Amino acid sequence: MQCITRFLLGMATCGVASLSAFAQCPPRPNPDTIVQDAPSIYSQNGVLKADLTLGHSVDINGYTHYCYIYQTATGVVEAPTLRLNPGDRLLLHVKDNITGNDESVSAMDMPSSGAKCGDAGMATLNSTNVHFHGMNVPPTCHQDDVLTTLIQPGTPGFQFDLQVPGNEPPGLYWYHPHVHGFTEFQVNGGAAGAIVIEGMDKLRPEVAGLPERVFTVRQQFLVPWVPGPYQLTFNFQQAGIVQGPSPIITMKPGEKQFWRILNATLQDFMPLQVWVNGEPQPLELIALDGYPLAQPRTQKTILIPPAGRAEFIVQAPPAGTQAYFYTLTYPTGLTGNPDIIEPLAKIQLSNSAPSAPVVKTNAQPVSLDKLKFSGLLNQSPTAERKLYFSEEFGGTNGPIQFYITVDGQKQKVFQPNEDPAIVTQVGAVEDWTIENRALETHDFHIHQIHFQVLEVDGKPVATHDLRDSIEIPFWSGSGPYPSVKVRMDFRDPNTAGTFVFHCHILLHEDLGMMHKILVKP
Amino acid sequence: MALSCSPVEPEKLSTAESMRKQFLRIAALVWICMSLTAAFAATPHYLITNDDVVFFPTSVTFYTVEANGLLTLSGQVFTGGFGISGGYFGQSRLAVLNSSTDQCVYTSEAFSGDIVGVSVNTLEVGGSAFGSETDTGASNGIGLALNSQYLYASFTDPNAIGTFQIQPGCSLTFISDTSVVGLQGGFVTAMAVHGTTLVVTYGDGSIESFNIANGPPVSNGDKQNSTAFLKSRGAAYPNGVDITEDGHFAIFGDTATSENVEVSDMSSGRLGKTVVYSSGAAINSSNLMLSPNEALLYVSNTQGDQITAAFFDKNTGKVSGGCTSNKLKGYGTSWAFLGSLAVANPNGSGGAVYVAEFGPESSIGIVQVSVSAGTCSLAERAKSPVLDPNSSGLLSISTFPPRSF
Repeated sequence: MQCITRFLLGMATCGVASLSAFAQCPPRPNPDTIVQDAPSIYSQNGVLKADLTLGHSVDINGYTHYCYIYQTATGVVEAPTLRLNPGDRLLLHVKDNITGNDESVSAMDMPSSGAKCGDAGMATLNSTNVHFHGMNVPPTCHQDDVLTTLIQPGTPGFQFDLQVPGNEPPGLYWYHPHVHGFTEFQVNGGAAGAIVIEGMDKLRPEVAGLPERVFTVRQQFLVPWVPGPYQLTFNFQQAGIVQGPSPIITMKPGEKQFWRILNATLQDFMPLQVWVNGEPQPLELIALDGYPLAQPRTQKTILIPPAGRAEFIVQAPPAGTQAYFYTLTYPTGLTGNPDIIEPLAKIQLSNSAPSAPVVKTNAQPVSLDKLKFSGLLNQSPTAERKLYFSEEFGGTNGPIQFYITVDGQKQKVFQPNEDPAIVTQVGAVEDWTIENRALETHDFHIHQIHFQVLEVDGKPVATHDLRDSIEIPFWSGSGPYPSVKVRMDFRDPNTAGTFVFHCHILLHEDLGMMHKILVKP
Repeated sequence: MALSCSPVEPEKLSTAESMRKQFLRIAALVWICMSLTAAFAATPHYLITNDDVVFFPTSVTFYTVEANGLLTLSGQVFTGGFGISGGYFGQSRLAVLNSSTDQCVYTSEAFSGDIVGVSVNTLEVGGSAFGSETDTGASNGIGLALNSQYLYASFTDPNAIGTFQIQPGCSLTFISDTSVVGLQGGFVTAMAVHGTTLVVTYGDGSIESFNIANGPPVSNGDKQNSTAFLKSRGAAYPNGVDITEDGHFAIFGDTATSENVEVSDMSSGRLGKTVVYSSGAAINSSNLMLSPNEALLYVSNTQGDQITAAFFDKNTGKVSGGCTSNKLKGYGTSWAFLGSLAVANPNGSGGAVYVAEFGPESSIGIVQVSVSAGTCSLAERAKSPVLDPNSSGLLSISTFPPRSF
């Protein structure tokens, strides 16, 4: 079969767990402790230079960890937050130090076209690369190319060299491995870190001077092929335990904080709420997927699909109240993964709560129309396309074929050496309608660009947010297929090249719910 | 000997003795006819479900097939173990034996790993048997197929076919395991038996037949990838399988993005290259079943929400035309997948088709079949579906008495 089954991948990982000789990854925080933000690395003089090593180990509870290790003067830290300004250069050296895996298992063919970037050889569970999720940078070797870039263990490593566009929207982005067939395992193990493009205060003075927190929600599972719900973690601390140990966020009573939340889970759609004495509180939403909203919105629930980000202002309640940060139950359809209500953290109120770093102030204001993709809504589309998600089951537990298909083309799972499903050219502005014909919710993501949301289920939306990942609810079995209509912007010459669009439920992507798009120069 | 319930012509006897004899003969004949009628009336007619319950003791449930094809719940027989509420679509987790001495339903318990025989006449467990220590089906179930002597169980965890000797009283004796694997490493997804031939699908695009004349399967050396699998580069692959009454053709139902069946000529004793018949009428065809008269091929559009009846020529193996039902009620809200098929009547077209509906509310769909002048229609009955309260994930159903082949 073309797809590698979850079972075989799971068996391979199980083998990995049993073979791991020693712990490469730093210990993760104990439950019921105060949540610490990941250490930040800042660009200096327009350059951020860092070395990351991807390690691997199995903890005493049997959870498999994959970790981005950063060496500091005082020790190692995991998955640091990379902080850059628009126009900065990122020089990131990544070394693959995974040991203990059986090289013979689950190898995947890389493209046979001769296009190689990085190390030679087959992609295996040991191989890695990096996707700079949401970043509007070129899909070329040493930048954000996941199709041909391969880093093999034991080699000197690989140098990424990215120039952040000068008009890159300020906001929250992230980095994670993206080797087709194995993404889920490495991200599941924790290989995901935040990237902050600074300057939100220039667009949204509401956040200036507020203490800023960066929270990453991840998932982990003990036995990869057993369906979820998977264990949620919150800045690597175990979450999701009702009336049990929980991560603790400290705030001063009445204090406003600027929270930047990254959904780095494999598959969890997260409707987020902050509860005070059991009641959801208003949240001031500032940005989605790293793109500032045209106008801040006050919402009690903020939905982030897998890979999505939300940045919002939270106001702590008065002293003496109980407050929690929750993800609610989200219906994913008859064949979807159960996403149940879970506490992410409890909010501890204290006048002596340590202060978080604050967002810069007194910055020169910047207008939204100076950002990349501005004015997209006023463009006339040069093409319209329809795509759809669908699934094919050989049994309730698989084998399953996951498809994303350009309407009119044959349904097929992704192959590394396939031709692009879509060919367009620099300068194009396209409207894509993406349907979900499956009985489970999917999560559309395209590399290299943001898209503007135009319609949901055929109805125009009031807020034309710019996103890079968006949920498309499951089909109920009758009536029209759920859909979104989005506007794709290929006007920037930096979009030239071949890249991918896919479902960001990572198992689906690994099993082939992905295809290529070629943007001709 | 042909029997008739018409009064015999009186012999030409005019004496009282002859009248007495004549009376006795008629009385005896009436008694025989009444007994036969009573016996026929007592023959159970059931639809049976493998309830495949995962967290509580599992069971088989018997529904009486009424004269109009509707179903009435008759009884539940707990079989002592646990199921998994899922697995391969093409796999039959029930095998029905209707011999001169025993009427049994064998059911597999996927999590526990055993096979249990239930007497159709008493609705009591007759016996059970395990295979080897590694024989379980916790990942994707345990498929069953039988002939008059042996029962074959495909254990999906070790990827082995266990051979069991059928014993009186619906019991079994384990003989041995045969390890198998598809060309791409696949696991047995479905099996069908005809006489001394066992045909399997592997879920990875490959198929194979075995000689079972001596019990344990011995490969006929014909393991091959199906034509649809090769043409689609893996997007279609055989899942369910059925065999014609004369053993001439094996018919495979494909897991595919369209309706796709494949027919292999096995008259040589080995599977021939499959011929593909595709239809855009529906989605997926992971389970199929020939009608009792072999004129129709019923296809469960596993992942869609429809049933198809294609015309089948049992002399040539050709599949053509046919009809497709409307969307069955409850898809997407109560159930997500269609499972195996059964027919109400063991003769002719089968009258009505039953289909297992897998989901939070497992149920049995009932679709009426009408055939006339080279056309057919399939219409879901007004009282369909019948909720199956004892199952937590219904995939396998069967009927007793079964189709004759």
